[in-house]
Amino acid sequence: MPKLTIDGKEVEAKAGNTVLQAALAQGLEIPHYCYHPGLSIAGNCRMCLVEMEKAPKLVISCATEVADGMAIATDSERVRTARAAMMEFFLINHPLDCPICDQAGECRLQDYAVEHGTGVSRFLEPKLTLSKAVDLGPHVMLDQERCIQCSRCIRFCDEVTRTGELGFFQRGDHTVIGTVPGKPLQNAYSGNVVDLCPVGALTLKEFRFQTRVWYLKNTPSVCAGCARGCNVIVGVGQQQVLMTTEGQLDDRIKRVVPRFNEAVNGHWICDEGRLSYERLHAAPRLDRPQAPRGTRVEWEDAVTRAATLLRNAAPGAVGAILSPRLTSEDLYAWSSLFAALGAVRIGAQTIVRGEDDGILLRADKGANSAGVRWILGPDATTPGVVSAIARGEVTTLLVVGDPLDPADTFSLDAAARSRVKTVIFVGAFLSGAAEAASVLLPSAAWSEEEGTLVNFEGRIQRVLRCHLPRGEARPGWKIASEVAAACGAGLPHWASAEEVLRSMAATVKEYRGLDLQAVSLLGVGAPGRAA
Amino acid sequence: MYGPDFEIKVDQIVARYPHPQAALLPVLWVVQRTRGWVDLASEEWVAERLGVSAAHVHGAVTFYTMFKQRPSGKYHVQICTTLSCMLRGCDELLEHVEKKLGIRAGETTPDGKFSMVRVECLGSCGTAPMLQLNDDYHENLTPEAVDRLLNGLP
Amino acid sequence: MERILTRNVEKRDSETLAVYEAGGGYQALLKALRELSPDQLTDEIKRSGLRGRGGAGFPTGVKWSFMPKDPKKPSYLICNADESEPGTFKDRLLMEKDPHLMLEGCLLSSYAIRASACFVYIRGEYVHATRVLETAIAEAYAKGYAGRNILGSGWSCELVLHVGAGAYICGEETALMTSLEGNRGYPRLKPPFPAQAGLWGCPTTINNVETLVNVPFIVERGADWFLGIGKAPKNTGPKLYCLSGHVKRPGVYEAPLGLPLRELIYEIGGGMLRADRPLKAVIPGGSSVPVLTAAECDVDLDFDSLAAAGTMLGSAGIMVMDETTCMVQAIERIAHFYAHESCGQCTPCREGCGWMEKVLKRIEAGSGRNEDMDLLQSIASNIQGNTICPLGDAAAMPVASFVTKFRDEFQYHVDHKACLTGPRVREFAG
Repeated sequence: MPKLTIDGKEVEAKAGNTVLQAALAQGLEIPHYCYHPGLSIAGNCRMCLVEMEKAPKLVISCATEVADGMAIATDSERVRTARAAMMEFFLINHPLDCPICDQAGECRLQDYAVEHGTGVSRFLEPKLTLSKAVDLGPHVMLDQERCIQCSRCIRFCDEVTRTGELGFFQRGDHTVIGTVPGKPLQNAYSGNVVDLCPVGALTLKEFRFQTRVWYLKNTPSVCAGCARGCNVIVGVGQQQVLMTTEGQLDDRIKRVVPRFNEAVNGHWICDEGRLSYERLHAAPRLDRPQAPRGTRVEWEDAVTRAATLLRNAAPGAVGAILSPRLTSEDLYAWSSLFAALGAVRIGAQTIVRGEDDGILLRADKGANSAGVRWILGPDATTPGVVSAIARGEVTTLLVVGDPLDPADTFSLDAAARSRVKTVIFVGAFLSGAAEAASVLLPSAAWSEEEGTLVNFEGRIQRVLRCHLPRGEARPGWKIASEVAAACGAGLPHWASAEEVLRSMAATVKEYRGLDLQAVSLLGVGAPGRAA
Repeated sequence: MYGPDFEIKVDQIVARYPHPQAALLPVLWVVQRTRGWVDLASEEWVAERLGVSAAHVHGAVTFYTMFKQRPSGKYHVQICTTLSCMLRGCDELLEHVEKKLGIRAGETTPDGKFSMVRVECLGSCGTAPMLQLNDDYHENLTPEAVDRLLNGLP
Repeated sequence: MERILTRNVEKRDSETLAVYEAGGGYQALLKALRELSPDQLTDEIKRSGLRGRGGAGFPTGVKWSFMPKDPKKPSYLICNADESEPGTFKDRLLMEKDPHLMLEGCLLSSYAIRASACFVYIRGEYVHATRVLETAIAEAYAKGYAGRNILGSGWSCELVLHVGAGAYICGEETALMTSLEGNRGYPRLKPPFPAQAGLWGCPTTINNVETLVNVPFIVERGADWFLGIGKAPKNTGPKLYCLSGHVKRPGVYEAPLGLPLRELIYEIGGGMLRADRPLKAVIPGGSSVPVLTAAECDVDLDFDSLAAAGTMLGSAGIMVMDETTCMVQAIERIAHFYAHESCGQCTPCREGCGWMEKVLKRIEAGSGRNEDMDLLQSIASNIQGNTICPLGDAAAMPVASFVTKFRDEFQYHVDHKACLTGPRVREFAG
């Protein structure tokens, strides 16, 4: 491990690391734009210049490998002068767009200008005029004037997705990035370039002008779009100005960005996952208990009706179909209820679309398919329940809908509808089997409840609550617990998802010994298990 | 793309290098010499042939000033305007040609016969002022010499 | 002085193999392959004191010694024929008139560094030279001077001509490699250095055309002979000087390194273009070097003398300006060149070159301010030393030197919105 000195302090660095990496690992922020840990080194922004003993010129710390005995100064007079000079160069042609630019509040140009710039412009000449709203692809807009030519976006498309849609065109200070006509930025990960862009040159169409980033309430969580379970940060709106028709604060999700997790998704997420929160608005919400459908009732009434229907069904006549996106806590609670009722035919949906793409996307869209297998067992499949319905064996069906995408909620076809007498629906949206239900219990959507999901590699990860459930919706595990109580089944009275986790830790083999701290925000492989 | 001879030529060029991508500039030259300029369809063909993205090829075409992205005149007049030529009257040469052809630098005559551009140092400083007409250098120019040159072109 | 490098250029059909061989051509190659090992050849070049003629003046033998003696990957020589430095036109003469001299130099140098191929990267505008070289290369192959098992030595080397397409930056060695690999001509970070990882990650040496044409003579006549020309130990050998601007006889002239500048201008070059327009300034090394005032022109044209005078020999493009030259217009023209040629990869050069050009244009157009001179110095200083490649320095140094040495002209523009030199002299081949 090479030992070097940074600003007089001895630092032990990993061999092969650069000075910048060594500094960042110490919490010392050497300013930089073009360096990104997930991409190759470009060394073009020149912002990370530092002074190195015995070197006549300043060196870029992002490309200088650490060596034993190296002495680096990151804050000397020379370095500060150079940084201020680089800042000035960045700003001379940069448009004064801050008041209308999405990047404001998380913009490195702003931050470094304040910290390292001179504060006064000496540039009197006409700034370069370029195209300000270039449609690069389905999700990304480009403002050529704001671009600082750091090349992160180009490197991403070359190195990570290997699709090469972006390139530099022209030369000198007329250099712009762009795509060629007929070949838009259309890969499955295009949104990542927006995260990568240190300035507001690349913006996400779905987020443009929605809100200021300082109004976002950010919660770490995990995407429920597929079995990868990419780590994300969910940004929920907090602006007081926009009120919904029901008089609530507009605390909808405004955007989702990746959260670094070396073991799962690295620095990236796919577009489908990034935008999966839009599915939360794809169908009307089920936000009040209904029994029958269309008639609002109090929770107690609805729960009692559901419990009655379940208890009165003949033995073996109850079936249940659950979404593979439900948290393990929800699955465990339902599974416990079914065990108490006895002889319930349980099936979890299989949602498979497309193929594993070798980057992040999995064909299995069940974010908790592994949890389903661990908690409900490998034989709990939907076709089993559907055949039982077709044979007339199952006449009371409990459907727990998809917490993320209403279109993926289980639906009864006409034949099944004619055979099933009673449908009890628990879900966040009025879609799928909700149409045929006589009792509807509103449950929290993916972003509205805490819990754990298990990805395809058997990694247990935490979903956190980003905003309150709509209307009167409750977490799934809580609904299951209440129905169980109304059925007289002796389930524990869990007061929180954490308490459900504690129960699982005691009874589910793969969850043995785990608590919230052990799972942490980066997830954990289940002790001694295979996926 | 432009017939079997073209593709044979391209194959010969690609064979000269350990990696096909290195043939990018030579192949673009063949395109331009065959077609007169480099259009987007050619860029796409080259990208496919060499295993690079279309954006990569377009990036090269827009970087190197000699690749033309639209047709130029039958006679492409390139006037050197860097320091040594400036010292020997290239600005006046340029004005003379502009007046004579009736176009400004960067334009093409309506009949498509002449296009004219300013270029940087052509490595002919000892015989300034001068211009490059298509492939050929014309040096030690005087107003009379320029007139003779341009008048004499079919 | 005996003409060495240019001994053939005025012969009829000088570009043909027949004429080259008749004058003793390719004998040096034969001698080296028979009598010298690659390392012995490198040592001889080291001893000769030959320094790069492309602009940087790095000792050639030392550069060759960086190459691996036991290459695990192919090694390459690149002949840098991208001559684009304003004021420079010597390589063009050599290529058009004595291509085989260059090729023999390439082959000898490839042998010294154990290269298996030599790429000649020639600027796209040199169409005539390209055609001449194509023919010469074919002749060399046909005679067995290039290709497999050269002259029965067991060593093989390919000669590949690669044509550029209009980018001065591709004369910078790492940008040249990036361009050759089929990319935009972006310079690379160093380290790694070309001898460690160059073309396709393989050990590579890049030499200028004029550097390479010295090699056959050193092989033929020995390092001691070379040391006897010019100023030993560090400024040796014959040199091609490119004289242009306000002189009677502009052109390429050969003389030993260390030729006095005044001799070049007033004797060899025939003196000032017009006797009534005295010398005002000279840029001695191609536009990328600081300018010399007339008073500073008592200097020898060699690497160390010019360095001591605060400028550089560079590519030996000597641009002579008389008193009719408005220095503001001159530096604006130079600044325009760098802004046009900047590849745009790194921030200080991309933005700074454009900025300097815009300020100079504004001063020239009559809207200059008193602060602008210091501003230009500041911009130049902020570019220098902070860029990926020397183009930034090449743009900054001339601007800084012009503003320092001719500040009165800038001030005059600011005060009077006109040139200190009076109304522009508008002559076309006057």
